[in-house]
Amino acid sequence: MNDMRILERDVDANKVKISAQNCDVYYGDTHAIKDVSVDISDRTVTAFIGPSGCGKSTFLRCLNRMNDTIDVCRVTGDIRLDDQNIYDSRVDPVQLRAKVGMVFQKPNPFPKSIYDNVAYGPRIHGLARNKADLDEIVEKALRRGAIWDEVKDRLHAPGTGLSGGQQQRLCIARAVATEPEVLLMDEPCSALDPIATLQVEELIDELRRDYSVVIVTHSMQQAARVSQKTAFFHLGSLVEYGETGQIFTNPKDERTESYITGRIG
Amino acid sequence: MSEQQHILTSFDRDLEAIQAMIMKMGGLVEQAIIDAAISLERRDEELAEQVRRNDRAIDELEERINEECARLLALRAPAASDLRTVLTVMKISANLERIGDYAKNLGKRTSVLVQMQPIDGASGAIRRMAIVVEDMLKNALDAYVTRDAELAAAVRVRDHEVDQMYNALFREFLTFMMEDPRNITACMHLHFIAKNIERMGDHVTSIVEQVIYLSTGEMPDDDRNKGDNTSYAGKKD
Repeated sequence: MNDMRILERDVDANKVKISAQNCDVYYGDTHAIKDVSVDISDRTVTAFIGPSGCGKSTFLRCLNRMNDTIDVCRVTGDIRLDDQNIYDSRVDPVQLRAKVGMVFQKPNPFPKSIYDNVAYGPRIHGLARNKADLDEIVEKALRRGAIWDEVKDRLHAPGTGLSGGQQQRLCIARAVATEPEVLLMDEPCSALDPIATLQVEELIDELRRDYSVVIVTHSMQQAARVSQKTAFFHLGSLVEYGETGQIFTNPKDERTESYITGRIG
Repeated sequence: MSEQQHILTSFDRDLEAIQAMIMKMGGLVEQAIIDAAISLERRDEELAEQVRRNDRAIDELEERINEECARLLALRAPAASDLRTVLTVMKISANLERIGDYAKNLGKRTSVLVQMQPIDGASGAIRRMAIVVEDMLKNALDAYVTRDAELAAAVRVRDHEVDQMYNALFREFLTFMMEDPRNITACMHLHFIAKNIERMGDHVTSIVEQVIYLSTGEMPDDDRNKGDNTSYAGKKD
């Protein structure tokens, strides 16, 4: 083990990007998230794990106000991005989502060309002054999405014609095209084969240099492989949050232990 | 190991199989320590030879345990206490194998010693030392099975006792050799035997430290009182 790897794990040294305090989420009468407080570090991959229905996706969706789109959903508590309350009435959710990008479970490219899929966000946010600018943004995003070499000769072919793994990397390229600061990923690999999964994981590790990445995953091995910090959710509560190595070798809470060792909990 | 069962029962069966092998290995090693000491005291060449032969079974078990652990790591990707169990089992089996080797070495030296004039009181003292080590090992294995960090810590302290017994024997052998140079060969063999039993105690200590890691997730870090000071024997103040 060299010092560099140890240094890399010292994620607590990174500053806090998103700070959530005493968050509660209700869907109508259902209390989905119960008093969750968590600090998400910058330039770090944070994994949310937990059984189905534990609230990890719901909580993830609070971080860029995706829950606003659900009528019966009510969020209380304080969520701050760089010390600004994202639920403040002056915050425009569209601008917020440009800063806090999202990648979903199933690849969902627009029924447009590969180029237009990526160019869509920069266009509506006015990030490019001219065609050359836009070309550059698209290329940079596709390179970041680790898919440039595979699509550079067919940028105007439909995005839906790509394989599943390619489509997902295209969606990641689309998400990073608007230069977000945080990237939320809700089970980004659940529809991918193992090789495409590894490619996306490698990509996540590269994205960590520039972004704060939060990933919800059902695969504990994936959480172990890609994240530096892991949060375990159970029945709407945050049970344990800590350095990934610690969570997987020596969890402090019995419920975490039961869940990660595959025992009934 | 947690009281709860895994959702995948075959995972439990894998872990139980490894557990059974380490217990079997522990039983064989305990027997080897006692038999080796008895063979020395009774000058029983037959029993000494048997100890040497039985070491093969211990070595084979170590190999099988290593294979099973490698398999479990590769196929099950164990985490938390399951991971610590596998890591611990691998280390404990290595310790047990070393203790078995020392017992085997005791058997070899016994077959030489039976041809010599016995040294007064030596084999009795060595047997008593072996019994302490065997009892420590028994408790260490009990602590492992029950994940009992307290019992493990108690065993760890007892290594001091073994060290002191070794110290006393060291001085005694020195005296015998100075009294009559014809005792030197026998005393050298007996000294190695005593040293080997003292080393067995160190391996048992290492086992209980693993048990403490297994049950608490952390290695004990406080310094034990070390009783073996023969490294400084003959040093002028």
